[in-house]
Amino acid sequence: MKFSRRTTAAAVTVAAIALVATGCSSSGSAAGTADDPITLTVTTFGTMGLDDLYTQYEKENPGIKIEATNIDTGGNAKTDWQTKQAAGAGLPDVQAVEEGWLSAVMQVSDQFTDLSQYGAKDISDQWVDWKVKQATDPNGRIIGYGTDIGPEGLCYNSKLFAEAGLPTDREEVAALFGGDDATWADYFALGEKYHAATGKAWYDQSGFIWNAMVNQQPEGYYTADGELNIEDNSDLKALWGELAGGAAAGLSSGQTQWDWGKGKAFTDGSFATFVCPGWMLGVVKGQVEAAGGDATTGWDFANVFPGGPANWGGSFLTVPTQSKHPKEAAALAQWLTEAKQQAAAFTVAGTFPSNIEAQGDPAVTGTNELATFFNDAPLGTILAERSKGVVAQYKGADDSVIQEQVFGPSALSLDSGTDGQAAWDNAIGLLNQLVVNK
Amino acid sequence: MTATITPPVKVPQPDAPPARAPHLTLRQRLSKWDVKYSPYAYVAPFFILFGLIGLFPLGYTFVVSLNNWNLLTGPGEWVGLGNFATELTDPFFWNSLFNTVSIFFLSAVPQLIAAVVIAAILDQNLRAKTFWRMSVLIPYVVTPVAVTLIFSSAFSEKYGLINNILQAVNLGPVDWMTDVFPSHVAIATMVNWRWTGYNALILLAAMQAVPRDIHESAALDGAGQFRRFFSITLPSIRPTMIFVIITATIGGLQIFTEPKLFNPTVSTPGGNDRQYQTTVLYLWDLAFNRQSFGKASAVAWLLFLVIVLFGVLNFLISRRIASTEARVAKKRSARALARSRAETELASGFVPGVSPELAEHDPAHDPLPDPSEAKR
Repeated sequence: MKFSRRTTAAAVTVAAIALVATGCSSSGSAAGTADDPITLTVTTFGTMGLDDLYTQYEKENPGIKIEATNIDTGGNAKTDWQTKQAAGAGLPDVQAVEEGWLSAVMQVSDQFTDLSQYGAKDISDQWVDWKVKQATDPNGRIIGYGTDIGPEGLCYNSKLFAEAGLPTDREEVAALFGGDDATWADYFALGEKYHAATGKAWYDQSGFIWNAMVNQQPEGYYTADGELNIEDNSDLKALWGELAGGAAAGLSSGQTQWDWGKGKAFTDGSFATFVCPGWMLGVVKGQVEAAGGDATTGWDFANVFPGGPANWGGSFLTVPTQSKHPKEAAALAQWLTEAKQQAAAFTVAGTFPSNIEAQGDPAVTGTNELATFFNDAPLGTILAERSKGVVAQYKGADDSVIQEQVFGPSALSLDSGTDGQAAWDNAIGLLNQLVVNK
Repeated sequence: MTATITPPVKVPQPDAPPARAPHLTLRQRLSKWDVKYSPYAYVAPFFILFGLIGLFPLGYTFVVSLNNWNLLTGPGEWVGLGNFATELTDPFFWNSLFNTVSIFFLSAVPQLIAAVVIAAILDQNLRAKTFWRMSVLIPYVVTPVAVTLIFSSAFSEKYGLINNILQAVNLGPVDWMTDVFPSHVAIATMVNWRWTGYNALILLAAMQAVPRDIHESAALDGAGQFRRFFSITLPSIRPTMIFVIITATIGGLQIFTEPKLFNPTVSTPGGNDRQYQTTVLYLWDLAFNRQSFGKASAVAWLLFLVIVLFGVLNFLISRRIASTEARVAKKRSARALARSRAETELASGFVPGVSPELAEHDPAHDPLPDPSEAKR
């Protein structure tokens, strides 16, 4: 057998990296001191707003040094975690886990430290109750401390609204969409009006809209009992029809999600509205700034969401059993999810606290740099409003595969002109192939 | 060697061999072992490494492929060859194979032609030779991830450089990331960018080894640049060509980085409708997104078999070409022999004593040679 140069080179590189990695992983004494600190590794993703907190923690705990890694998206973080979990090595002391792939984590929940050993049960009432329930495995072990939750509001571009003759004040905008009774039908009707006035698209692409639609159902792709709940789900199918109608009417800008032309689509008027869970606010700011925009680009945040309260995402900090310092890691994770720290993370990244006390913290309800970017919108107050009535739905084992590989392609195909029924049939075909008959 | 160094003592006859040993000093014995066993020690590192990172994973992968193995929860039930059967009927597997072969042809063919042309140009007497040769190699030195990031930004559908240029000259934009054929072209472009220069340098080395006197004599006989290139250079570098083609085949069937990072924002690796999902990418998706480690291992083995098949095909074809070449060469020299014999007889008139072999000593100096026959 012959190996190509590429294979050989890759193998040699991997071997070299492995040697270096094992060399680095030797760790010192049990208790850290200022002279011989314990190094805790932390892996997060997206925009979690923890960077300044690490420095603060290191200052307050001289025996601890923190090495943080941030991965660009939750999807890539999942791949990273899975690879290391399957390999049985390489996981950090504190691993951030997203709600979307929490179900995969639960398959191997015994590979995560039961945080009740370190007092998780005593402090469990500091979080909204469903957040703790999500992080509890079938054996009653709590494997994660809740960080943020993702109540969704509506981002809109006030400049574009003004050009189209729509109101720009965020309370008028909320009323325009229907306030507490806002429906997706209202949303698409307004979009058609906007499209007629300007010829421009209403939202960036169909994927996120679909995501929001599914996430706000009491039961999503799975029933609460863990059964697949798609093919005969008339609610989902009706929503799919509305989404297809919107795309057919030219309301979707057909953007590449998580790319948006390196942020240009947020500054060049490609679309006027955007679904915004709390953590997305930081993403929007980052995208606008990457494309050279700033607060004057016109993005604002309204206290309204079509179809009622919705939650998208939210994360947990876990301690894999691979950690050599589970006690210190649990202490760090606990500290990072305390009210004060969650409030601080919010001011940086807009990650809305799952900690009840933090939700009322002046840092959350007051103004901050992120709020300034959104035309001084009272982000914390709006998100607290938006989180009322939210119940996080059950996510099954293959939820992220369904989201990404079954409905992902089909929702995008709507943007390139595929008929709604054909796209739905395509999704069901993919579902059968990827999930049902796997 | 050592045997000759031993003093020429009267060695007892073979019926008493043990007696020979005591005559050897430790040094001599060491040296004898050195000759006997050292070569194995010298080649051992390769075989140990090969066994560790080549053979063992190959066998282990096969064991995994026989199980319903979940990435996270580990081995499940034993399914025999069930995973292979499922994959062979899975349209996504065949789709990935089609994409792989399509991208392979789109990259290998233009790449080899371009590499030969570049090598031929570099083979001329250029100024600043080393500069040109190093320049050609630069794309190979750049990491493929960086190459892919730059190219995928250029090929971006809405904001990419290439579509901007197309629109500037009033051509419609191309859906580089959603249409099947354009996406294959885009990925093949990245592969070509990276590997053309590398192959060109290997071919250049082969071209430099072609004896210059053949070129000279062909030139003297009036063969032009192109004639010499096609009749001397190309046939002479055939073995190197075969090497380059085989490595390109193996590499081409294992394309991963380029399609993986071509549009990293898309949720299905290899495009929304798997337009450019190569087999290795499909395998990765199976293992790391769908957690079917067993099926992924089966795909890995199927891919291995496909590569072996391509390798055997390559070998058979190249052997056929080689033997055809030998036959043609034989025919040609026979023809030359006959002709020179006739000419000698003509020149020497009735003198029968001149042996035809003498006149035939250097075909290159025949009055009317065919330059292609000058090849050795």
